[in-house]
Amino acid sequence: MSTEPQPLKVDTPAAALTSARRRRSGGFFSAPSGWLSVGVLGLFAVVAIFGPMVVDSPSGLGTDILQSPSGAHWFGTDDLGQDVFAQVVWGTRISLLVGAVASLIAICIGTLLGLAAAYVKRLDPVVTTATDVMLSLPMLPLMILVTALAGPSVLTLITVIGLLSWPEVTRMIRANGLVVAAMPYIDGARVLGAGATRIISREILPAVMPLVVVNVLLTAARAVIAEAGLSFLGMGDPSSWSWGRILLNAQRSGTIASAWWQTLFPSLAILLLVLAATIAGIRYNDSRDPRTRGV
Amino acid sequence: MLRYAASRLFRAILTIWIAVTVTFFLLRLLPADPTLLVVEGDMTPEMQDALRSQYGLDKPILQQYVLYLGQLVQGNLGVSFRQLIPVSDLLLNRLPWTLLLAGSAFVLTLLIGIPLGVKAAVGRGGMVDRAVQFFGITSNALFIPSVAILLLVVFGSNLGWFPIGQAIDPDTRGLAAYGSLLHHLALPLFSLVLVQLGPYALTLRTNMVEVLGEDYITSARSRGLTHRRVVWRHALRNAVLPALMLMGLQLGTLIGGAVLTETVFAYPGVGRLIFESVQQLDFPVLQGAFVILAVTVVLANLLTDLLSMVLNPRIRT
Repeated sequence: MSTEPQPLKVDTPAAALTSARRRRSGGFFSAPSGWLSVGVLGLFAVVAIFGPMVVDSPSGLGTDILQSPSGAHWFGTDDLGQDVFAQVVWGTRISLLVGAVASLIAICIGTLLGLAAAYVKRLDPVVTTATDVMLSLPMLPLMILVTALAGPSVLTLITVIGLLSWPEVTRMIRANGLVVAAMPYIDGARVLGAGATRIISREILPAVMPLVVVNVLLTAARAVIAEAGLSFLGMGDPSSWSWGRILLNAQRSGTIASAWWQTLFPSLAILLLVLAATIAGIRYNDSRDPRTRGV
Repeated sequence: MLRYAASRLFRAILTIWIAVTVTFFLLRLLPADPTLLVVEGDMTPEMQDALRSQYGLDKPILQQYVLYLGQLVQGNLGVSFRQLIPVSDLLLNRLPWTLLLAGSAFVLTLLIGIPLGVKAAVGRGGMVDRAVQFFGITSNALFIPSVAILLLVVFGSNLGWFPIGQAIDPDTRGLAAYGSLLHHLALPLFSLVLVQLGPYALTLRTNMVEVLGEDYITSARSRGLTHRRVVWRHALRNAVLPALMLMGLQLGTLIGGAVLTETVFAYPGVGRLIFESVQQLDFPVLQGAFVILAVTVVLANLLTDLLSMVLNPRIRT
């Protein structure tokens, strides 16, 4: 919650006055939104890696049914007497895993297609059309269909979300890549005999790399939301916990109205993680590119 | 103008064709054998073969594909595995509710988002502007079921202001029925608008700020036009066009949001049907739901494109 007012500070005049040197060296962390968002992301990563070693898996059925938060059960218990805190901790691992890996898959496909479209003129119409078509389809119903057919599991979720999230990345990378591909030094490289593969990987890719980093964060944020949505609709891995599944359990058992703790804490976790990833992405973008400050 | 309209129409048809083709090959390539899912319990190989030929699964895949496209054109989406009635009947019963929910969310987002975006751009750095920027960023992080559950618990269960399920009270007639309809629509609609509004208003604000700096705005001001007229007539017109197109692109996300919202509020639209079919692994319904939602989104997108065309003199000529 404490991160909420930060995005407003992103484009204050004070930030624009930061010297060029400072921008390059410690720019990202010069605003509170920078270190706060990274701090939150780091905290989630620690919980995801070490949490399940410390907190017992919420598998056993307890006798404390629908308890409100207390010293024994920090986040209360659900209708089967399972500890909600343990569910959220174990869910962190799945949410982060799906978000990170799906984002990496989408980034690889999206960057490759975007750069190819930006440099190879013949490929451009095909990639652009494919991107537009994908962007105009309702993604969630498609993900539901594919996940249902493939059989719900963590691997399926990662693959489906990763393979269907590249169009946004492609669109941004292509737009940026087109600008770079028109620069004189690209012509220079071509005159020196560099092939398309070399120009794309050695000349254009480094130039758009900051945007790729931003996209990793934004895509991961969207992937976390997508995973939560699929799990909430019952398409999650039935054998592992996820934040969406906790909400689904509350919905199925009809305890939404009575047991606020069962829905509030996983909701806060989603909000905080996605917000932190989004703000870190925006902050990184702003700290790299002085032009975006004056919007 | 005709060329533009024709290219949009071609794009729409292409998108629908790709959507149904992808669905077809997904169903064939993924491991799930539909015949094993129709009836629970043991089946003799003869029964399986009979079912396969009934579904046309014993024919070569290209022939199946042509058959499938032909049936789609006739509006035949197959038969539900579980309810044993045509999928198209099931979907057509549910679609009006989804259209009502998503359509009113679309319109309401425009109606609130446009004045909000304009106010933010005109009074840069003010309260409205700060609020729009704040919600523009935080809205992306909002998980729709979380928002919907919060509204349901606070305004539905605790305060009791709104009903918490279904779309209409079946006992009401006439004017009371419309009242009941709106009463049931309020919370799902509000959940969707809350999530859509922020990014939309922010985009409009950014466009508006850009447009307000253009030469023709300065010239309009220098001609002595009132501030109100310059902002709402001259600037808004050009700022709203990209925003309308963006809204068209967001339709897929909007429908995804509707699916989640309907699930929370037990609103009887296509989304709730998807949720019910997921539990029962009713593949024909899931497939049909995707196809019909894709067609809906593409057609709505086509409409917004054509509307932008009418509004935009640069394309019109």
